[in-house]
Amino acid sequence: MTLLHPDRSADSPVAIRIDEVSKSFGGTRVLDRVSMTIAPGRLTALLGPSGSGKTTLLRVIAGLERQTGGIVAFDGVDADRLTLRDRRVGFVFQHYALFRHMTVSDNIAFGLRVRPRRERPDRQAIARKVSELLELMQLQGLERRFPAQLSGGQRQRVAIARALAIEPTVLLLDEPFGALDAKVRKDLRRWLREVCERAQVTTVFVTHDQEEALELADGIAIMNRGRIEQSGSPMEVFEDPRTPFVCEFLGNVNRFDCTYGEGYVEVCGAQFPVDWGGRGAGIAYIRAHEFEVVAREHAEGVPAIVDAVHPFGDAVALEVRVEDRPRTVAVSISRELWELGEIRKGDGILVRPNNVRVFRAAS
Amino acid sequence: MSDTPLTAKAPFPPAVIAATTHETPGVRHALTAVALTYLALFLLLPLVMVFAEALRGGLAAYLSALTEPDAVSAIELTLLVAAISVPANMLFGLAAAWAIAKHDFRGKTVLTTLIDLPFSVSPVIAGLIYVLLFGLHGFLGPWLREHDVEIVFAVPGIVLATVFVTLPFVARELIPLMQEQGTADEEAALSLGASGFQTFLRVTLPNVRWALLYGVLLCNARAMGEFGAVSVVSGHIRGYTNTLPLHVEVLYNEYNFVAAFAVASLLASLAIVTLIAKSFLQWWYGDALASGPKR
Repeated sequence: MTLLHPDRSADSPVAIRIDEVSKSFGGTRVLDRVSMTIAPGRLTALLGPSGSGKTTLLRVIAGLERQTGGIVAFDGVDADRLTLRDRRVGFVFQHYALFRHMTVSDNIAFGLRVRPRRERPDRQAIARKVSELLELMQLQGLERRFPAQLSGGQRQRVAIARALAIEPTVLLLDEPFGALDAKVRKDLRRWLREVCERAQVTTVFVTHDQEEALELADGIAIMNRGRIEQSGSPMEVFEDPRTPFVCEFLGNVNRFDCTYGEGYVEVCGAQFPVDWGGRGAGIAYIRAHEFEVVAREHAEGVPAIVDAVHPFGDAVALEVRVEDRPRTVAVSISRELWELGEIRKGDGILVRPNNVRVFRAAS
Repeated sequence: MSDTPLTAKAPFPPAVIAATTHETPGVRHALTAVALTYLALFLLLPLVMVFAEALRGGLAAYLSALTEPDAVSAIELTLLVAAISVPANMLFGLAAAWAIAKHDFRGKTVLTTLIDLPFSVSPVIAGLIYVLLFGLHGFLGPWLREHDVEIVFAVPGIVLATVFVTLPFVARELIPLMQEQGTADEEAALSLGASGFQTFLRVTLPNVRWALLYGVLLCNARAMGEFGAVSVVSGHIRGYTNTLPLHVEVLYNEYNFVAAFAVASLLASLAIVTLIAKSFLQWWYGDALASGPKR
């Protein structure tokens, strides 16, 4: 039996293979034969709505939960053969789980101080490691504080420092930004990426925020009801969503019921080729930015009425009412177009999709 | 408009908003007075009477009542019983609370209910159970007699009865707190490489230290003051199986009021010290909790 070497250096990150992993709590199946590989040294996101099993998968990887079936392997070694200590996983809990009776320094040093005597670094080495991490995490000056005296963002940084102190083979973060307010979130995202790159550690984080996953991760696995719907690079899953669920979960998308036949589907006044023959009902998805919008008199398209305008981003978001559709359609246009002044609330416009994703409706 | 301070628009002055009820000052003062009188009459007065009666014969009589051999032996026995039963129940309470709050297992509800049993059983019945079990004509009596083991009407019986009666105090104090704290801290410690024992010693125990101390205090007060259960199993053998509460009763029945109250004043002092320590802890530990995040 090969064990992960305790002195494994941080410059050879670990690959994680998850093979047909299932997990049930009582009679409820939370993970259903999940398989994926996590590339060494990369930042991977487990993305999904609450209850999709993403946190459970993370806990199974960490060894905090034991799978009911399947294998988790770290660099080819069955993780079941490793104790929690040997797995050396840096786990950052959603609410950080800092030890409230210990100072920031003691929290960070914890993982080193509890090592068996033979492996334990001496006092000076621990102190050096702690001050290194304090610097990396920009926590200088807070050494003597207790967790209760820190802000949410500071607590998170202490939790990450504590996890990194044991020089983990993998860093696992459960909803790392979940408990922070919107402003802090954005700042921390970029910063977390930098830290992970510098620490050269395989990192997996759980999130329900698609923007966070797309922006931060090298690889994304989208989970739904205990299964992985699709995994790949952010570009792959965003550009080529394979299932209706992924389609609805990523990007600002409109759903249309449609019918297809003779190799074509007609959605919103435009025709698109489909890969399959026969006739039947389908579901079409069109993203907000995939519409061409023109003022009514100029061109062809489906007539629509502008219901609301939200000009608060890089693009201008419109809510438009198309014919007899009960729900408004989300359409985004460039600021330049909006600034021409031809499209205002209450105006009639023409919309025309230039791209569509069609799925056969489940019969 | 802009020169009108916003507070002037508030419908009530702040003092009225702060109060959630609208009783007139007269009613409020009357209610307070009733409560205070009640407390003074039923709690404070008896306590004062204990000390007054104890000192009625002068300080010399008071001290001699406390230093005569039977009293000393009762004090010693009481301390011995507490010294055994309090640590025993502290260990049990910690173990039980840890098991119930941090783990899932079959029979958890049964265990939780069993822990409460001593609270719902009358202490006299608790004592009787031991007499029926270990007494001369009891279930195990003949066997114990053959092997020369004395339990009932001896120190072991008193210890057993006290352990039974004070069993829930520590566990009851710890379970809700441990349940509220959850298991994330323990999981963090384990994932950082701590062993189970290190996790318990460095994380679980410090997280509940104030509640534990509080539970131990209550447990101790009850262990020293228990009368009913101990009375049944003790046999009231002077200088041998009399604890402080039993000694008070013996002296009182002999119309030796000064001595009875002198010994009683010791127990009363214990209660007062416990109360003060308890309020201090509550203030301190309540504060420590309040300053922490509610997670």
